[in-house]
Amino acid sequence: CSEYQKVLKDSDVKKKYDMAEKLYNEGDYKRAIRLFEQIVPQYVGKPQGERLIYFYANSYYQTGDYYLAAYQFERFSKSYPRSDKAEEAAFLGAKSQYLTSPRYSLDQTETDKAISKVQVFINTHPESEYMDEANEMAADLRAKKEKKAFEIAKQYNRISDYHASIKSFELFFKEFPGSVYKEDALYYDYLAKYNLAVNSIYSKREERIGQAKEAYTKLISEFSDTEYKNKAERMNADLDTELQEFKELLEKYEIQ
Amino acid sequence: QETSFDKGKKYILGGIEVTGVKGYNEQTVITYTGLRTGQEITVPGEQISEVISKLWGLNLFSDINVYKTKIEGNKIFLELNVTELPTLSDVKITGIKKKKIDDIEKDADLKKGKKVTESYISNTRNYLVNKYKKEGYLNTKVNINTIPDTSEVNAVKMVVGIDKGEKVKIKDISFNGNEKLSEKKLRSAMKNTKEKMVLRFWKKSKFIPEDFDADLVSIVDAYKEKGYRDARITRDSILYNDDSTIDIQIDLEEGDKYYFGEIDFVGNAAYTDEQLSRVLGLKKGDVYNGVLFDKRIADQTKPDGQDITNLYQNNGYLFSQINPVEVSAKNDTIDFEVRIIEGKLAYFENVTVTGNDKTNDHVIYRELRTKPGQLYSKDNVVRTIRELGQLGYFDPESIAPEILDPNPQNGTVGINYAVAEKGSSQIELQGGYGGGGFIGTLGLSFNNFSIRNIFNKEAYKPVPMGDGQRLSLRLQASRFFQTYSFSFVEPWMGGKKPVQFSTSINRTLQFRYNPRTGDADKDQRFVITGATVGLAKRLNWPDNYFQLSHALSFQHYDLQNYQTSLFNFPNGYSNNLAYTIALSRNNTSVNPIFPMAGSEFSISLKLTAPYSLFNNIDYANLGDDPDYQTVGPNNEIIPDAEKIDQEKYKWLEFYKVKFSGNWYTNLFAKLVMKTGMEFGFLGAYNQDRGVIPFERFFLGGDGLGNYTLDGRENIQLRGYPNQSLSGNDGSTVYNKFSLEMRYPITLKPTASIYALSFLEGGASYDNLESYNPFDLKRSAGLGVRIFMPAFGLLGIDFGYGFDPIPGQIEPSGWQTHFIIGQQF
Repeated sequence: CSEYQKVLKDSDVKKKYDMAEKLYNEGDYKRAIRLFEQIVPQYVGKPQGERLIYFYANSYYQTGDYYLAAYQFERFSKSYPRSDKAEEAAFLGAKSQYLTSPRYSLDQTETDKAISKVQVFINTHPESEYMDEANEMAADLRAKKEKKAFEIAKQYNRISDYHASIKSFELFFKEFPGSVYKEDALYYDYLAKYNLAVNSIYSKREERIGQAKEAYTKLISEFSDTEYKNKAERMNADLDTELQEFKELLEKYEIQ
Repeated sequence: QETSFDKGKKYILGGIEVTGVKGYNEQTVITYTGLRTGQEITVPGEQISEVISKLWGLNLFSDINVYKTKIEGNKIFLELNVTELPTLSDVKITGIKKKKIDDIEKDADLKKGKKVTESYISNTRNYLVNKYKKEGYLNTKVNINTIPDTSEVNAVKMVVGIDKGEKVKIKDISFNGNEKLSEKKLRSAMKNTKEKMVLRFWKKSKFIPEDFDADLVSIVDAYKEKGYRDARITRDSILYNDDSTIDIQIDLEEGDKYYFGEIDFVGNAAYTDEQLSRVLGLKKGDVYNGVLFDKRIADQTKPDGQDITNLYQNNGYLFSQINPVEVSAKNDTIDFEVRIIEGKLAYFENVTVTGNDKTNDHVIYRELRTKPGQLYSKDNVVRTIRELGQLGYFDPESIAPEILDPNPQNGTVGINYAVAEKGSSQIELQGGYGGGGFIGTLGLSFNNFSIRNIFNKEAYKPVPMGDGQRLSLRLQASRFFQTYSFSFVEPWMGGKKPVQFSTSINRTLQFRYNPRTGDADKDQRFVITGATVGLAKRLNWPDNYFQLSHALSFQHYDLQNYQTSLFNFPNGYSNNLAYTIALSRNNTSVNPIFPMAGSEFSISLKLTAPYSLFNNIDYANLGDDPDYQTVGPNNEIIPDAEKIDQEKYKWLEFYKVKFSGNWYTNLFAKLVMKTGMEFGFLGAYNQDRGVIPFERFFLGGDGLGNYTLDGRENIQLRGYPNQSLSGNDGSTVYNKFSLEMRYPITLKPTASIYALSFLEGGASYDNLESYNPFDLKRSAGLGVRIFMPAFGLLGIDFGYGFDPIPGQIEPSGWQTHFIIGQQF
């Protein structure tokens, strides 16, 4: 039975404390965590607790268990707001939360938490050396939210639900006016309007062609050399032909 | 004007003294406050109140005060005076059985270390009194005392004395003043308060005050249903008898019988008075029925009821309000006005889903029936919940819709569907002895697979998931046989339309036992190789619950020195290339494991090409063709059965029609009736070529597909041994009717369990001429089903067959059936 096992079962808190700190300094975080778990409750509120909880939180962070790291850093920040390590803990807590954020196509509850945590860090530590990284994280998280909304709106177009797609893009532009996906969003909004127009019933065709052409103008005026330029121009030509045909048809009926 | 007192003054904190602590260290309390000697502090100010609220938040103190002890220059010294709450060190409960004590301590949260406050004591007392009242102990008394525990600092012992008294039953419920409705009728209107009766075992006689109050309302409702609008209870009294029973005495006034007068609609623009009257279904001169009237306005018991509120709610009028008002009551006639505020039509704005931590958005959003920009409809919300549940990725019982930011001014509304993922993978790994040797099985089935991530190492947690594809793999092997099968299903091929693509491959090798070596003889073998490709499309017409599917399947049989009952030849081959088209409709809801309502049916046709139309072979007289003749034992020329069969089964030729339908009806509470019928027919285009020995129906028993090498279909008919109702070669026609009552015991995502009882009857025939749909083999019985996501479905049924199986005279009698893996 190794010494570690002995200490683990020992009731002497001091022994555990020393060993945990030694393991922590050696980088053996997994084994240190098991000791920290046992002794942290006894040290809460005591002066040594400050070091201990920081080590404990950081051990979770180092082992990649970001959910628990975020929680423990939060606990540290609340218990010891005036600690020397406060800034670092706040940053690592925010970063842990950032790392728990899942890919854009899943529930973004953790991302929302991360956005607010990173923002709180940026607001409370404006002079921090971690500012660049914090800003990067914030941008990354926001982009994720934008991508989610963009992809959902785009999918409605893909499953031929053009109304839902157009409405979703309208909400997208309102919620994320300066999105990194703006160019793509403008194109897909145009595409949905185009699809709606060319598949439209007779009575609404003219109006919808008009709306599609508006979307085209918007895309070209905001992104004059967009990667979608060729496609967009071809579609616009289609719309012109459609409109022409529609007007001819209308005239024919009126003559009759 | 600000006073200096309001502003507070800045000091340097010179020191804090903590007084009043017993169990805690002074230093600990100071650390909790977050204050440090030497820091700047404003008194009075926010910092102090923060400290106080922080300490209160700990729930450790019954009193907290901060005093200023002295001021030296700009230094301030504070005193923090606290009163600690005593902790609970021991609980003693008297008056109840020992083994119940643990449960009570747990339920009432009587834990060592709890802080003992006045409210804690009275909560505990109320909890216990109510608990026993609910069990019928109406006279329960609970007495709680606390005694200081001297062995610990600031601790108390708690002594809980419970005196349940006798269980109180209701001997008699009597009414005064009832003329129009009998006592019996009124007593049955009281759903939860019942007289003591020996034979009624499902509802015990108890007196629970809350239930009793609800039952008094039910009595009045019973009158309201009969036109007695003014009926009221004037007095209710409880009389205690000596034998620990009570009598209930209810005095009431019935009042007069009323009739409906004019029912006017006011404020309706979207629907005419006529349309609304039709939904209301009540007219002038009808006996007044307040309960029905309320139900037709808004049925509180059914979310999808046919009422006026839902008429509006299902058609975009989220903000509509419907208020029925009695405008006049002349003699016995009451005039009503239904006042309607229609409000703006509501359109969906943000439609979101939360809680999907495995399943990707695109798999979910394409299934939603409520989309941004669409008109609000309660119906569609309900249907979305149902269909999300049926996907099988989420716990159907916990899908919750949440209306977000309803805006009556703009006519907009958002909705969020909160889902909870459930396990959707099944793994089967087993080994065992059977059929003369070791059999190993490995089965994997993933119901929410992501095939595009199959080479992405990071997606393996533990398997790539979230794209809604189904993948299953099954390997089974022993010394004598091997089967491999693989299948893959993509519900939205290409992601554009709900067109389901499926494919599967399978291969089976069977070897004969060689008695000389005691091992498998690889030279005597029967090999079946098959593949299937299918497409299924959801339809929008006749309604969008329909699905049309196509499948192309191919099966190749190869025999080598292997005599079976299927073929008259030991060496040869056979091919089965068939096309299946099926139309099905399924609107069962909500939980696919335990549907509560709706129906499912399907009709299918499986057919092969009519080869014999083109190949100019005269199957009736093959035996006369010298190519199909052989020399008999007496040197005479006889038809060669081997060659003839080989010619007949080179390419199998048949068509098969099947129909099945199941209806689910929710009778009451969670009791569900399932009514089902099935029919199947296998035919041949060319009667000379005959009906093939493959693809046949085998009726009887558990219906599990254990042996399906020849495409046979085992049809469940409980109460009879497996496949006992069809001949050795199987049947070509069958039908079956069944009636099942199901009641759920639990529908938790970890395990769903339900009990069932059934009545069924079925029959099978060798040809259409002898077919008689009413000459059934009947059975009845009961059973239980357990569904656990990791294991699939397990069940056991006990069935009694009333009719003899063919060739016997005695009824089939009791049979036990184990149901494994067969779905629903």
